[in-house]
Amino acid sequence: MSVELGKPMLDFQLRGVDGRMYSPSDFADKPVLVVVFWCNHCPYVRAYEDRTIALAKEFADRVAFVAINANDAVKYPEDSFENMQARAREKAYPFPYLHDESQQVTRAYGASRTPEFFVFDQSRTLRYHGRLDDNWENPSEVRQHYLRDALLTLLNGQEPPITQTEPIGCSVKWK
Amino acid sequence: MKVQLIYYPDCPSHERAMELVRQALQAEGVQAEVETVRIETEAEAQRYRFIGSPTIRFNGVEVDPLPHLPYRLTCRTFRHEDGRLSPVPSLTMLRTTIQRVLEEKRKDVSGTG
Repeated sequence: MSVELGKPMLDFQLRGVDGRMYSPSDFADKPVLVVVFWCNHCPYVRAYEDRTIALAKEFADRVAFVAINANDAVKYPEDSFENMQARAREKAYPFPYLHDESQQVTRAYGASRTPEFFVFDQSRTLRYHGRLDDNWENPSEVRQHYLRDALLTLLNGQEPPITQTEPIGCSVKWK
Repeated sequence: MKVQLIYYPDCPSHERAMELVRQALQAEGVQAEVETVRIETEAEAQRYRFIGSPTIRFNGVEVDPLPHLPYRLTCRTFRHEDGRLSPVPSLTMLRTTIQRVLEEKRKDVSGTG
């Protein structure tokens, strides 16, 4: 199973680093919801971390972001729940950071990389899937702002100019 | 100079890493073939002391060695001079390692090392 463009989001109930349980209904007040599959140890996540935080802050009044980490913490201890809590604190994540310990949610979404972005509109239909932009290496040389463009157009009630890109990052570390 | 680029194919950074290695060698005036080693199993990761992709060695000297990390199949994080975290080393990190290796070699030849 996976979430495909034009299809509805899948429900989940996952624990956040603040100890609270979160589900998509917690973000019902926002017209757009971004679900990003995330982790601590991947350098691509680190490369995109500040850009993701900046976008989440910029769109905070109209877009909810939620990050989900499913990586096997036995082989990748940096991705343990305790280290997730530490990273979220250290970087002051402006979004919930959730632990998919069973990996079921990540499998159900069909996510395979970190970071991998899924953008849902008001009816919680998938409208963009893929990477944040076209340059992981150098933020100043970005030419295509895929995620930002998707958010702006969706908030204007329009179709994102590009709806799908190839996610770039580390593979999800399955158990 | 023996140059090794050891990579895990699931991690997309190795092609960019290869470009950077070639740029660094050229900038330091070193002519060398780059041997690529593909790591696909945990046993291979152990054998090559591979903490993540890409692992780059010049005459066995590793760029940004992080000996506290376990050997495993994943991407590797490099901290650049400006503090940025990246899936590939900076050109400066590569050039500095090459310079160190050349300096060691010079010392060995001159007997001052």
